[in-house]
Amino acid sequence: MSILHTKRVEKHFQEGREVVPVLRGIDFAVERGEIVSLEGPSGSGKTTFLSILGCILTPTRGEVVIEGKTVGEKSLADIRKRSLGFVFQQFNLFPSLTALENVEYALNVKGVKSKEARLEAQRVIEAVGLGDRQHFLPRELSGGQKQRVAIARALAGNSPILLADEPTANLDTQVGTQVLEMFRALAKQENRALVIVTHDPKVRTIADRVVKIQDGALV
Amino acid sequence: MSVDLATKSLLHDKLRFFITVSGVAFAVTLVFVQVGLFLGLMDNASLTIDQIDADLWVTSRNTPNVDFAHTFPETYIKRVRSVPGVDRADNLIVWFMNANLPTGAVEGTEVYALEDFSRWNFPQGVVEGNLADLRRGPYMVLDDSAKKRWGHFQPGDYREVLGRRLKIIGRTVDAKSFTTTPLTFMDYRLAQSLNESDLRGNTTYILVKLAPGADAESVRAEIRKRLPYNDVFTRREWAERSRKYWIESTGLGLNMYITVFLGCLVGIVVVAQTLYTSTMEHIREFGTVKAIGGGNGEIYKILGKQATIAAVAGFALGALQAFALRPVMAKIDLKLIIPTELYVMVLFGAIALCLGAAMISFRKVATIDPALVFRT
Repeated sequence: MSILHTKRVEKHFQEGREVVPVLRGIDFAVERGEIVSLEGPSGSGKTTFLSILGCILTPTRGEVVIEGKTVGEKSLADIRKRSLGFVFQQFNLFPSLTALENVEYALNVKGVKSKEARLEAQRVIEAVGLGDRQHFLPRELSGGQKQRVAIARALAGNSPILLADEPTANLDTQVGTQVLEMFRALAKQENRALVIVTHDPKVRTIADRVVKIQDGALV
Repeated sequence: MSVDLATKSLLHDKLRFFITVSGVAFAVTLVFVQVGLFLGLMDNASLTIDQIDADLWVTSRNTPNVDFAHTFPETYIKRVRSVPGVDRADNLIVWFMNANLPTGAVEGTEVYALEDFSRWNFPQGVVEGNLADLRRGPYMVLDDSAKKRWGHFQPGDYREVLGRRLKIIGRTVDAKSFTTTPLTFMDYRLAQSLNESDLRGNTTYILVKLAPGADAESVRAEIRKRLPYNDVFTRREWAERSRKYWIESTGLGLNMYITVFLGCLVGIVVVAQTLYTSTMEHIREFGTVKAIGGGNGEIYKILGKQATIAAVAGFALGALQAFALRPVMAKIDLKLIIPTELYVMVLFGAIALCLGAAMISFRKVATIDPALVFRT
């Protein structure tokens, strides 16, 4: 059974008096331990779709089911907290917190407190190979290291679904490849579903399945 | 302990934190100085009333404050002394007189005249001389504050008051009136003899000490009955009336409230502005907090904590500045009174002010779209 699936998801945005359809009835599913690369040109609706999968936006029509439960308007923040981990193109780390604290804070938000959160944060920071950089502030880390911290933050707390938005866009080819390899290994090892929205053809090499989106529909 | 994003984020930009704290400290110092000066002036306005050990004051009708006294026959004291419950009563003259100084200048003084100062435990800050000696001749005791207007003096010197040479036999400190006119203490009969036209056979107040266990209200009612054209006040009422007169007639109270209001306004504007700018600069971080599952409440907690830290730090700095100003003010004869209650009120006021200022940021945060974390 899929950990996440959508049924006929549509999303419309109001632009002035005009209603612009961005997603046109998408059916999509991902299994535990599966890695899916979601590709498409700019403006195809892939980031909007990712936002809906991530319970950040709600669909205009259709439904999203996560871990067997249909997502409702009121449960969005709760589902994000419990079931989802995010990796962003811009890393979005807290600049005043060290690498370790960035991960630990995300756990605190998820309701994991103090000692347990510290131990879990240390575990994932070690897992992404930043044990020796755990007390560095983001400004003291390279782009690749920042993205590893972001991945550690997404992995922390055992969220079964990981969503990544262009995770290699700000990294050079070599570092991007290393980060993807590591991301794949960790997702597989911990049996997490991973959906990566990307333009980067390298992502295909680590994905189990490639899904293409164009003009708001899967092709 | 959970990761303290609020504190770390606030202290991350030290310059901004310093500006925020300075804004609060400015408001706090302004409030302390304004209210402290006001309380200091009000303390002067009723200082003699507070020091004189009398339970009731008999005054002429409608006397506005202790300094602006009017006369009435001194024989009224007999009626007061005969009231049951009165332990003792004495006439007190408070009167403005002019003194001719050796320089040729004429300066005013506010004379307090009693037959026996020790019976009323007044004045309290005698640093040189003996008040009991006032009864022995044309003598006076001067407060140190007179040095500013009268020039240097010391016991043994003579000064001319209303054309008569009086010997200075002692010195007091901290005996002040709201008018800033220096206080002089002399024998009751001597004061009457200096200004016979106004004071011969007259007094300006009757001080009353109640017998132990006597009921102040019934004694007062009886005095009122026997002196229907005078007013009778308890010490507290009389002190309050004297202070109220100066607050209302000089606009001092209004001035204080306006300055305190402006201080708070400046504080709010600085704090609101810096917190709002900070919120806008950290908007992506707040979006991230929402994206990883935090709600508006989580962000309100961050902003609320930051506002509280700014308030407490600003309060500490402001209180320290006000405390440091006290000796400076004292040098120019200004009294800064900051009671403990004021410290507590200002601390909570500063926290409320900063939380109020953070409300603008709260509104902004409530509208943050977590989808912004996907934007580049």
